[in-house]
Amino acid sequence: MLTNTKNTHQTMKSVGTSPVRPDGVPKVTGLAQYGADYSLPGMLWAKVLRSPHAHARIRSINTAKALALPGVKAIITAADLPNQSFDYVGPERVALNYWHMTRNILAREKALYEGHAIAAVAATTAAIADQAVRLIEIDFEVLPHVIDVDDAMKPDAPLLFEDMISRGFDPAPTKPSNISKRLEFKIGDLEAGFASADEVVEMSFKTAAVHQGYIEPHSCLARYGADGQCELWSSSQGHFVVRAYTAKLLGIEIGNLLVHPAEIGGGFGGKTVVYVEPLALALARKSGHPVKLMMSREDTFKATGPTSGASMTVKIGVKKDGTIVAADGLFKFQAGAFPGSPVMNATMCAFAPYIIPNARAIGFDVVSNRPKSAAYRAPGSPISAFAVESVLDILAKKIGMDPLKFRLKNAVKAGSPTVWGPKHSHDGYAETIQALLDHPEYNKPLGKNQGRGVASGFWFNGGGESTASVHINEDGTVVIATGSMDVGGSRASMALMAAETLGVPYESVRSTVADTASIGYNHVTGGSRVTYATGMVVVEACNKIIEELRLRASLMWDVDVKGVIWEDGYAKPADKSVGTFEPLSLKAIAAKRAVTGGPIGVESSINAGGQAPGFSTQFCDVEVDPETGAVKILRFVAAQDVGRAIHPKYCEGQIQGGVVQGIGWALNEEYIYDKQGRLSNAGFLDYRIPVASDLPMIEAIMVEVPNPNHPFGVKGVGEANIVPPMAAVANAIERATGTRMRELPMSPPRVLAAIDAGRG
Amino acid sequence: MQGAVNSAVPQAVRVMLTGGFSRRYTNGVREFEIQARTVRGVIRAMDELFPGLGEHLEEETSIAIDGVIHEVVYTQVIRSGGEVFFIPRIEGG
Repeated sequence: MLTNTKNTHQTMKSVGTSPVRPDGVPKVTGLAQYGADYSLPGMLWAKVLRSPHAHARIRSINTAKALALPGVKAIITAADLPNQSFDYVGPERVALNYWHMTRNILAREKALYEGHAIAAVAATTAAIADQAVRLIEIDFEVLPHVIDVDDAMKPDAPLLFEDMISRGFDPAPTKPSNISKRLEFKIGDLEAGFASADEVVEMSFKTAAVHQGYIEPHSCLARYGADGQCELWSSSQGHFVVRAYTAKLLGIEIGNLLVHPAEIGGGFGGKTVVYVEPLALALARKSGHPVKLMMSREDTFKATGPTSGASMTVKIGVKKDGTIVAADGLFKFQAGAFPGSPVMNATMCAFAPYIIPNARAIGFDVVSNRPKSAAYRAPGSPISAFAVESVLDILAKKIGMDPLKFRLKNAVKAGSPTVWGPKHSHDGYAETIQALLDHPEYNKPLGKNQGRGVASGFWFNGGGESTASVHINEDGTVVIATGSMDVGGSRASMALMAAETLGVPYESVRSTVADTASIGYNHVTGGSRVTYATGMVVVEACNKIIEELRLRASLMWDVDVKGVIWEDGYAKPADKSVGTFEPLSLKAIAAKRAVTGGPIGVESSINAGGQAPGFSTQFCDVEVDPETGAVKILRFVAAQDVGRAIHPKYCEGQIQGGVVQGIGWALNEEYIYDKQGRLSNAGFLDYRIPVASDLPMIEAIMVEVPNPNHPFGVKGVGEANIVPPMAAVANAIERATGTRMRELPMSPPRVLAAIDAGRG
Repeated sequence: MQGAVNSAVPQAVRVMLTGGFSRRYTNGVREFEIQARTVRGVIRAMDELFPGLGEHLEEETSIAIDGVIHEVVYTQVIRSGGEVFFIPRIEGG
């Protein structure tokens, strides 16, 4: 937390404007350097051998023929990585278990999903590496597999880990199962709550696993020096975390690994973990050459984390006046092949927007023969919201209440309870509902086969560890550096906050992302934390450098530093008693830097707290073709509390992007498996994400309820927007057709089948 | 607010844990009344009650102080009568 960063400007000059993004020109001209764009002399090309089976024991691996192929320089298997101890470490929601992680990087005893990496080859050309991969001989014992979460929980389901005893049960089970963990949050008296309800609705739902769909597959370049000094160039959401994971998995010291942040072509949570980096560095260590490793799109679908699919049952009770009196939710999440789905988030977010005195949320984390799930934009929250917001829509209709007014009546505000314990401490939700109630299109009549749906969503937003440095160049321009990967425009927002704090034009501030040896630790760009936390530390560093600039000016004027103030980008005498001096610009002070003490620069670090959650409320209008089941989005309006929009166009883009991904999740996207447990649609032709021609312009409404804990009032803006769309679309389909969709995606065949079933 | 740790006399603070955390580490007891002025004091007091608990609190939780969520940072000051809720640490996408 900061104590000395208050914006003294009455009117913001930079914050709240939308200047040209600093990464724009290199990206549109093709000059931006992504992970795949880096090369070194003597570089080898790597390819990965992946399991063709959903579940198989690995009896043996024979690499002799592949190694004999001319041009092959190294082959690695799990035997080339140190084994790890079996411990869950770190926060419960995202507890790391390196025993699992190293087995996901390279399979050891068993291949646990189709696409599971088993060996990797480095060769002088990509073609030779490809050929070598096909020469590796593996003796598999193919085992029965399980894909669906409900099937995986059955007592007779094939076990991925024969010794996995579920956590979270009291007493602990005596037999192993695929249930990694059970968790529960509860407040109030559930039975009494439901007994007092006038209407109760209970319904079950299923959602499909969906991929983050980033356009850039995972890729990296690795160098392992003869002196043990290593380097990685990698596209990720956090190069410090890439460094930590890779060092741990290879058994090297963090200080010996330097990670350079390449530009990133989308992440959405999926690039907060490592896949290719440990393989490339292990191959570089073994071969003595730099190694480049790039995933294909098929690899990306089959072997990197989608978010979980789920099976859920939600029961909610209300009074006739619209008061919610009780809610109960059961959320069963696919973790993929290793424990660690976002089910805890799902249980915590499910009922978070509403004042519910009696509530319970139970979650199960369940392994099955799918790729290990990874974070995806507000991980877990969109899934549980689909179920909860659908049930709320049914209840609103039952009691004859407008669905927005129903939500407004029950909306949380500062002081409202949560199912996980502490009280909410911020407003902002009701304001998003009111923004839609005031929208001129909300009450506009619709035509035949058309319907309007409403839904809301909650996300915590994040704080955490960040570092920033600020340097004044010789000509008075400014360089700020952070270690936060720029996924959603943070270089621009950091520059805007720095310019505002220093009182200088945005154009005079160059904002960069520094490598792991050039700046202190920064946690990942995730959880909607960077504009908040890294922004906080940028402002703190700017305030520190203002103190330094005042000191330099005092030396130039031969006055006490207390006699110098900083105002609108200039050092000025505090009052007439100090003397008569012309204001000193950054340029003037920088010109005297040598004689006043040398280069002018500071670095600051924080562990930011005090973040405020994000709320989003959305409505959409759809038209359903009763002959084909196709759903067309006619209008989509999304209101979100952004605290304070630092760069409004970027905030608008975040809201639009989250909604579009949610629409894809709602209507088309899903992992489809055949009977052998093999993914049938590992490409963008068969896994259909929305394209511009599918959609109307998404209308983003930015509601600004500033967070008092941030110097500019920032709240995270990247995630809450993806939470409501699936339920909003489902609710709109119901209003258009009278059919309640309970399974995602609501693709044309599924919608048509539901309509036909309703027709009897 | 974060700042210099006040060494004045500790004061009453209400500490709460989630059900899951309390089952694992405090025999199911979820609420405590302890004396502390800072997060460091809260963790030290909890560790005295349940040796080893302090490390779990530091490594595995975020903290809601009167509802406002923070990372666990020693210097965070707690008001007299304040409510400290240790919750699962959140990571996003």
